[in-house]
Amino acid sequence: MRKNILVLFLVVAVFSMSMAAGVYGGIFNYLTGADAKTLFPANATDNPSYTVARHIFDGLVKFTTDMKIVPDLAKSWDISKDGTIYTFHLRKGVKFQDGTPFNAQAVKTFFDYVLTHKLRRTSLYKPYIKSVDVIDEYTVAFHLNFPFGGFLHTLAHGAGLIVDPAMIKKYGDNPGELGRHPVGTGPFELVEWKEGEIIKLKANPDYWNGRPYLDGINFKVIPNDMTRLIQVETGGAELTVRVPPIMVKKLKNDKRVNIMVKPSLRVIYLGFNLKKKPFDDVRIRQALNYAINKKELCSVIMQGLATPSDSPLSPLTWGYSSTGGYPYNPEKAKELLKEAGYDANHPLKFELVTPRGRYLNDYETAVAIQAMLKKVNVDVSVRAMEWGSYISYLFSNPKPSDAKYQVFLLGWAPSTGDADWVLRPLFYSKEWPPYGDNNTYYSNPEVDKLILAGMKESNPEKRKEDYAKAQKIIVQDAPWVFLYNLQQAVATRKDVHGVQILPVEIVLANNAWIAK
Amino acid sequence: MSNFILRRLLLLIPIFIGVSILSFLMMHLIPGDPARIMAGQDATYQEIQSIRVEFGLDKSLPVQYVLFMKGVMDGSLKSIKTQRPVLKEIYPRFLNTLELSLVSIVISAFLGLGFGIVAAVKHNSWLDNLVMGFSLFGISMPVFWLGILLIIVFALILGWLPAAGKGGIQHIILPSITLGMATSAIIARMTRASMLQVMNQDFIRTADAFGIPQRKIIYKYTLKNALIPVVTVIGLQFGYMLGGAVLTESVFGWPGLGRFIVDSIFARDYPVVQVGIMLIALTFVLVNLLVDITYAFLDPRIRRR
Repeated sequence: MRKNILVLFLVVAVFSMSMAAGVYGGIFNYLTGADAKTLFPANATDNPSYTVARHIFDGLVKFTTDMKIVPDLAKSWDISKDGTIYTFHLRKGVKFQDGTPFNAQAVKTFFDYVLTHKLRRTSLYKPYIKSVDVIDEYTVAFHLNFPFGGFLHTLAHGAGLIVDPAMIKKYGDNPGELGRHPVGTGPFELVEWKEGEIIKLKANPDYWNGRPYLDGINFKVIPNDMTRLIQVETGGAELTVRVPPIMVKKLKNDKRVNIMVKPSLRVIYLGFNLKKKPFDDVRIRQALNYAINKKELCSVIMQGLATPSDSPLSPLTWGYSSTGGYPYNPEKAKELLKEAGYDANHPLKFELVTPRGRYLNDYETAVAIQAMLKKVNVDVSVRAMEWGSYISYLFSNPKPSDAKYQVFLLGWAPSTGDADWVLRPLFYSKEWPPYGDNNTYYSNPEVDKLILAGMKESNPEKRKEDYAKAQKIIVQDAPWVFLYNLQQAVATRKDVHGVQILPVEIVLANNAWIAK
Repeated sequence: MSNFILRRLLLLIPIFIGVSILSFLMMHLIPGDPARIMAGQDATYQEIQSIRVEFGLDKSLPVQYVLFMKGVMDGSLKSIKTQRPVLKEIYPRFLNTLELSLVSIVISAFLGLGFGIVAAVKHNSWLDNLVMGFSLFGISMPVFWLGILLIIVFALILGWLPAAGKGGIQHIILPSITLGMATSAIIARMTRASMLQVMNQDFIRTADAFGIPQRKIIYKYTLKNALIPVVTVIGLQFGYMLGGAVLTESVFGWPGLGRFIVDSIFARDYPVVQVGIMLIALTFVLVNLLVDITYAFLDPRIRRR
């Protein structure tokens, strides 16, 4: 008996110690570079909107920080043998922040609204979902058009965050206003939104997973990276995103600030226009892959905020498989170039277009590549373009012959975290602009077959095999120079704990707390 | 006088139309597709197409212009970015800019006039040189650099003021000084030059000969006569500030109109940019009208005309 009491005492002690880890209370000032555009997530296309939304809403499933998919509003799910019916068993007793009960009907109302309206993320669901059926109060079934292997990933996407049916009923005709009245089941609820200035959230005391530690979160918009960082240093804010690489090193040993560096799903690459000579020659494309020292780009230009890439997928994207890539080998590059008819006397010349300031040190990377290629007698001129003009220049060409670019620098991060959302838009031959984003005009029947097979495969192992094969062929065909995977750097006050950095470039303060 | 004001107000109509055409054309001539930018890099063709149709971007330019003007008139014009009425989006930002500009212009008018008068009265002394040197510094200093410098000193090192954001009075001090620095320098130089010009005139010499106290000569006779060009400068500067101080607003995270319009240009949010430019043009014209009316109060000769 006495032993039991002792054990009980120990258990309680350990339990209360682990509880003491989190401190309740405090307002969390979260600095971002841009304001949210809408808080109706299925109508958003930008990360600032999804970031705020992920504090107000929950989805059926969600991503962990290492891109696993775990239950959220759905406790569990069954997938039919043929992979076309996903049945979700919902959490009971969950309420939206206005008291509306969350149930199967709410899920159906939400998805029906998204599928039947022209929202900016409708096409993330419409091609796959045939119907959403209420089985009983807490069971809902999604019938798919085909056994789409990436379906859970599209549900974990920010656009799959479920909005209160009462709000959809009230504002459904006016997506702009719907986006201003976010009501979800999440840990925080909207208090006030001053455009371009601040979004104030307060804790939802009835949150189904227990009240959050923080009393509230203020998302404040401060465009300047340095000013944001100084705010955190001086104690004016708890967290800032997008810390400049040069400051990451400087603040490593700072007493006030904690720097967190975590991988993202974003790959940065040089794309070739395969319809432009001489980039139709695979030897040239491989040569340029060998000629660029990716390790050096990562360490010098990116200050360690990137890792060399060897696939169109980043290592945390579902379906990634290492291909070995192209190790730095300037001799091999010269050899391949010579075979293709280029050497010091007949140097290969081309223009590399790049955005400037869209991605971390994008232009600087292009200039460093220019210098690296000089060493293998390739003459590159770099041209920076403003982002708005740039994506029209790359993606709005009606025909391949209208595309003027030769080589371009670009980044891609699949917001679903799934291989399908990289390979299909960028490498499938029916996705050439203006209908899709395959603006290298890559086309390989074998890859097409694997991409379609992977998309319509419900067995994860089989799917991974398809994608591994596809990655291997794509890397061999080299429609890109595979440069690096970006990391994200976040700075918080030293007394801040529990911040989560999702590889989909979202930083969450849902479980954060401030030590007193 | 009222005739004059009415005439000037009527002039607003052609200006309004002219600016609307110019801003419309400017936005449509720069390359870039708003639907594509708004839909995001991974958007599908259908999404892009539906945004085009929603905002009439698939129609011919003249039709788009007519739709745009119609939307401006009945207030139904919506931002492509947020799908909310443009005026609803612009209004809070305009108020923020107005707040910053007012504080800033008051500070710079006081400083500028004060320093300008001192420099003129102590003409060619070390004090004059100091003030003029300082004002040269103020004009030449780039706003983004001055802003960061002030943040480093007053927020990071001294910790007296917040580095950025909008909130209490303490939040407006650094941005308004940053924004007003160049203006106060310009006002100081203008005041000095204008005062010196008046001081050399016969009636001042006469007043001096009459034995009127120096203080009265400076403030009553010289300053009042010297103020007209200074008021013009203050008015113009205020007009520029209302147009949005993009750099100041970006450095300090001040949610004003200038930053909003620049963001909207990058996002090719045509309706917001066009209305924003029209609003700036109109306020500029109105501020100038106010300046002209002020002349009449300062100088009875103008009133009689």
